[in-house]
Amino acid sequence: MTEPQHVTVAQGKDADKSDRRATIRSHLEGGAVQAASQAARLLLQEQPSLMNFRFLRQLVDRLTPNEAGLKPFKVALVSTFSIEFIHDSLIAFGFINGLRIEIYQPGFGLINQEMLDPKSGLYAFGADVTILAIEGEDWLPEIYTDFMDSETSGERLGVVVDRFRQQIDSLLRTFRSTSTTSLLVHNFALPRLRRAGVADLRLPNSQARLVTDLNRALGDALADVVDVHIVDYAALVGHFGAQHWYDSRMRLYAKAPIANGMLGNLSQEYMKYFRAIAGMTKKCLVVDLDNTLWGGVVGEDGIGGIQLGANYPGSAFVEFQRVILDLHRRGVILAIASKNNQADVDGVLLNHPFMLLRKDHFAEMEIHWEPKSDSLRRIAKRLNIGLDHMVFADDNPAECEQVRRELPMVTVIDLPRRPELYAETLCAEGLFDTLGLTDEDRRRGQLYQQRAQAETMLTASSNIEDYYRDLDMILSITPVDQATLARAAQLTQKTNQFNLTTIRYSEAELAKRISDPDWLAITVGVRDRFGDNGIVGVMMARADRDSLDIDTLLLSCRVIGRAVESAMLAHLCELAQARGLTKLRGCMVPTAKNMPVRDVFDKHGFSKLGEDESGATTWELDLTARLVQRPPWFKDSG
Amino acid sequence: MSKNVEQTVKDMMSIILNIDAARIDDSTAMDNTPGWDSVNQINLILALEEEFSISFEVSEFELMVSFFDIVQVVGAKI
Repeated sequence: MTEPQHVTVAQGKDADKSDRRATIRSHLEGGAVQAASQAARLLLQEQPSLMNFRFLRQLVDRLTPNEAGLKPFKVALVSTFSIEFIHDSLIAFGFINGLRIEIYQPGFGLINQEMLDPKSGLYAFGADVTILAIEGEDWLPEIYTDFMDSETSGERLGVVVDRFRQQIDSLLRTFRSTSTTSLLVHNFALPRLRRAGVADLRLPNSQARLVTDLNRALGDALADVVDVHIVDYAALVGHFGAQHWYDSRMRLYAKAPIANGMLGNLSQEYMKYFRAIAGMTKKCLVVDLDNTLWGGVVGEDGIGGIQLGANYPGSAFVEFQRVILDLHRRGVILAIASKNNQADVDGVLLNHPFMLLRKDHFAEMEIHWEPKSDSLRRIAKRLNIGLDHMVFADDNPAECEQVRRELPMVTVIDLPRRPELYAETLCAEGLFDTLGLTDEDRRRGQLYQQRAQAETMLTASSNIEDYYRDLDMILSITPVDQATLARAAQLTQKTNQFNLTTIRYSEAELAKRISDPDWLAITVGVRDRFGDNGIVGVMMARADRDSLDIDTLLLSCRVIGRAVESAMLAHLCELAQARGLTKLRGCMVPTAKNMPVRDVFDKHGFSKLGEDESGATTWELDLTARLVQRPPWFKDSG
Repeated sequence: MSKNVEQTVKDMMSIILNIDAARIDDSTAMDNTPGWDSVNQINLILALEEEFSISFEVSEFELMVSFFDIVQVVGAKI
């Protein structure tokens, strides 16, 4: 296979830059928001400069409020310093990630007023996420700038940590009782200056130790509140180095301690959380093989000639595979799109001693000579995942460009020239980061294997009911509780296809529903012959006079097509009757993605009550005349 | 091949201050340009540092309050 021809353009950096900007502008003018996002991503990869952030921010500001292709996302920034210099990069990176970010930022003297007053502008703003970005030296000068005063005065510095813990507990409690917004809190970075010099580490209450204690107290406080997450500010400052992270000129002149060149890094860190909160975490990684998972081309070099092993560059590829395997363990689905012969690939996957990734780790493999965009489309279809939840990584810029053009909604990672940089390139943006790991996440890889086995069985069955029976499905239908709250909320955020109303719930919002006696919130678990799928369905309903109104009914794409929804509706009929209610009502809100639910109510004998201009329909079942029957092939978990 | 300093500064001011580059001249200054506030003053300074790979001292910030001044200060550094 010959090297791709790179077309070299003999122009200066300036011409390239204005070309890229012009491309982005013209895509937006033509309404091609995703193509514009892709081009913006390349622009910022090349040059994450203030000018480029400002340029993109201005373009985004000029879009209509509900621009198609961008999800509105409100961010409240609460800080002790002038954090407005981050606005441009935040909005620019938001745009690249499909978000239209709107920012609310109160003045920096007003943290307590804004956070503790339920009538403040902060709560009125109705943010999707609030960020508490406080520098250690502003919050606790006793431990930072004034440390030597405290140290020589003999004050017990441990008391400072206890006081902080109480303060943060009360702040979080007030916040959570007033708002269901997600909250991100910066943790404490080490002081820039060790005030006692190297003697610090000898002190019983050294600055270093106090900062560790503060961060532990912060972590403990968060365990008692839902939907509050730590931004590892300490790790960021450490990673880039305090010398580069801070700018003392601007700190002293404008109360803006974070260096200009670092603001983009902080914005990118925030994006990892925003994506998860907005339900836009990527779910699937599709990788190339040659010069991606190993060095060289297996079709030419043979299994013995490819570079994968203990020595450079083979060791770099092993590290890359390790990071991909980690993703698999975190619940990311893996697939291959490679131009190769199946036999050559099988040989490596099965026999190469240094492969960390094996055939079983991949849910899908597209190994042929057709365009990779076709592979990605097929993979998305078979996995029942949106293309906008997929990431494609390839070392070949021509392949990357082909996919980028054909499928602008796929995030494309151009692997750099040096394989030792592959791992950090893949992980840098935290595209797959979730806010926590559930058991379902940990088991997902296995489940996709099992699903593939189940599908093989389907083609062998003579009729659909035999197939259902042969699956030996056991349902667990139980109310949502503390242990299942996270998973239930996660499902409402991520499920797009089999979802009647696509209402998203945060953990805090769901917790509120559970405590309301008029509301029912229920999880559905499915076990079958091949394994335990865990919790794969959620239903929520509200009792209103004589009717039980269905607010949410959804199923993970993994278990669509098994009539689980029939069992769910049957269960709701029983619950309604137990409460003396005579009607079961529901609404179906059509979206671009929920074709599978369009005729659910009709199929189960509901009567249509009406339809509005958006196409949303309301339905009703008169329980005195008719019930939904639970299909006989389901067993109960007892 | 690179553009000259004046044109580069004009283009940058145009984007940061949201004004038409063609209307920027030697008299364009903080006190007669809406949108050229203290926050944007700092943005301009930081952007100039990035663009020209130079570094300003705090004492130079307050010298750069008009297009003419900026071109002088930047020109002296590159």
